[in-house]
Amino acid sequence: MKSIQQRLVFGVGAAYCLLWAVGGVAVYLVVRSGYVAEFDRVLKANAQALATVTNQRAGQVETDYSEDLMPGFSPGRHADYFQLWLPDGSTRKRSRSLGDGDLPRRGGAVNSPEIWNLKLPDGRDGRAIGICFVPQLDEEESPGSPHELKDEVMLVVARHRGNLDERLQELESALLAVGGSMVVATVLMVIVAVRLGLQPLWDLGERAAVIDAATLQLRFSTDNMPTELLPIAMRLNELLSRLESSFNRERRFSADVAHELRTPIAELRTANEVALKWPEDVTMARNALEESVAIALQMESMVAGLLALARCEAGQLPVRPETVALLPFVREVWQPLASVASSKQAILDVQIPSTACWRSDASLLRSILSNLLSNAGQYCPQQGLIRVAVDATGTELSISNVTEDLGTKDLPHLFERFWRKDPARSSNMHNGLGLTIARAYAEALGLHLRAEMTQPNRITLILSGAQIERPAPATLQDAALRFAS
Amino acid sequence: MRILLVEDSKRLQSSIGRGLRRAGYAIDVAGDGREGLWLGESNQYDVIVLDLMLPGMDGLSLLRELRAEHNPTHVLVLTAKDTVEDRVRGLQAGADDYLVKPFAFEELLARIQALCRRGYDRKNPVVTIDDLQINTATRKAARDGKPIDLTAREFMLLEYLALRRGEVVTRSEIEAHIYADSVELMSNVVDSAICILRKKITPPGSAPLIHTRRGSGYVLENEPA
Repeated sequence: MKSIQQRLVFGVGAAYCLLWAVGGVAVYLVVRSGYVAEFDRVLKANAQALATVTNQRAGQVETDYSEDLMPGFSPGRHADYFQLWLPDGSTRKRSRSLGDGDLPRRGGAVNSPEIWNLKLPDGRDGRAIGICFVPQLDEEESPGSPHELKDEVMLVVARHRGNLDERLQELESALLAVGGSMVVATVLMVIVAVRLGLQPLWDLGERAAVIDAATLQLRFSTDNMPTELLPIAMRLNELLSRLESSFNRERRFSADVAHELRTPIAELRTANEVALKWPEDVTMARNALEESVAIALQMESMVAGLLALARCEAGQLPVRPETVALLPFVREVWQPLASVASSKQAILDVQIPSTACWRSDASLLRSILSNLLSNAGQYCPQQGLIRVAVDATGTELSISNVTEDLGTKDLPHLFERFWRKDPARSSNMHNGLGLTIARAYAEALGLHLRAEMTQPNRITLILSGAQIERPAPATLQDAALRFAS
Repeated sequence: MRILLVEDSKRLQSSIGRGLRRAGYAIDVAGDGREGLWLGESNQYDVIVLDLMLPGMDGLSLLRELRAEHNPTHVLVLTAKDTVEDRVRGLQAGADDYLVKPFAFEELLARIQALCRRGYDRKNPVVTIDDLQINTATRKAARDGKPIDLTAREFMLLEYLALRRGEVVTRSEIEAHIYADSVELMSNVVDSAICILRKKITPPGSAPLIHTRRGSGYVLENEPA
């Protein structure tokens, strides 16, 4: 049973039915017990009345019984019965209604008589009471007489129990009718209550059903939301936020890829179509060929970047850790980039202890640092300062430079694929994949790459979480190296 | 016909510029939105080919500014933005045509030709004056059924006069529509060009079709004898 509604209806309905059944049985037993007790009181009263009129006189048991006084024992349709046995077992007296029949001879003490159901001599169901007692002495007899009977006689009084059974039958029928109705009503009420109770869940489901990739901006309203569903709605809203941002990122990525590909394809196609339209123009053909090669190289670079990212995301990038001495490593990476920075007269300020070493993959680390230093060199202003430093723990390397274009609001997008500050995306030099790849490589190395605006116009890219090969010295002063590019 | 190409891709500037020049158009090129707006406001262009994603000022803002100043130049938007919303936005901002990158150069050329014709209320690409036929689509001219050998600039001049047939076209108008900003003009360049064109389209025995209006300019029409 997978439906919550069915489970609840079945569970709550069954519990209520069980309660109704137990209650019905309890009511029946209590009422039946009352009816039977009342019946037995009459039986007992009759027996006591007969015992009262039974006494002994001169060693003989006498019963001052009269049908006028006790008409119930007269023969008839609703007659009662009694039979009195002497201590020797012989019948001393019996009601006329008994005819030749006998009642069972059994009984208890007067204060604890035996009461039981039986078949009456006329074949009907009945109930009998049996008591044993010593008949009281006649008024004229004095106690201690030699004829005084010490043994007990036995009196059994029986009554037809048809009336009792009819009342019990009526009680049973009433309880069954009421109980059945209550069960049906309970099940219906439970169904309605469960449906009403689960309505917010259906509403939630209906609202969820209208959300698709195009409407991820929709959120579940938490106003008037039941307490039990509130955490679910909030989690779903959080999930939708994540999905929306993920979808937006993917859409942006697709649009960016399309644009990044469209432009070089347009350039390629136009250059070649123009050259083909005037095939006699050799200069035009040469220009087209040169441009085609340049565009092919640009697209190759972009495809290589995308492939590197794909490999990195698929965990297919081989990582070969080795000892990397940071200071010479940074200088080596900077060497080919220095010409770009020198055109701006940029200054590289390296604050790395000569003993600082990381355990890392030199090839991947080189790609990361090359990208970060290249960006710093290209985007810093004239005579800008590029600072490369390792923190006191030796696990964090930062590269900072003054930037005129970037602000705090740009930081979340900095590592997105194809993100560029310039919406026109005019530059053919960059494809917007460098920092994305740098971060992917950093993660492959177990490092974390983040960006911070350490001052209003100074951006710092921080590579943290490195495994140090040897502890870096506490002071950097003695080992700090400064050189101009 | 004079075209302004506003495009930030150097390669597209180069190849489209080469192609349109070979097709007989005078081309000015702007690499960013602000330069494009300045050129568009300063010169009389027959068509502006406009990229949307431009540094400095985006293409739509440029277009809106031009239209706000009642600049009537036909604008063909040439962009990588290909959604219906982008096209609608471009056309609603005042563009006359919209072409998505990558594109076929022939299509760009045909659209530019159509926009040029539209600028002079001509729907038929063939202009006929007496027995002179000028096909602005195929960029060919013939007199009495015989093809006339014209350079790109000569055809451009003939086309401009033909599209304004019957009107007096001043020298400065010819300069503005036939020569790009980058061309250094000599004082008699228009007169020389008209002289050469007149000779080429007037074979012996044929009636002259280009007439000089002294002090005003030139008119291309079939004047009754």
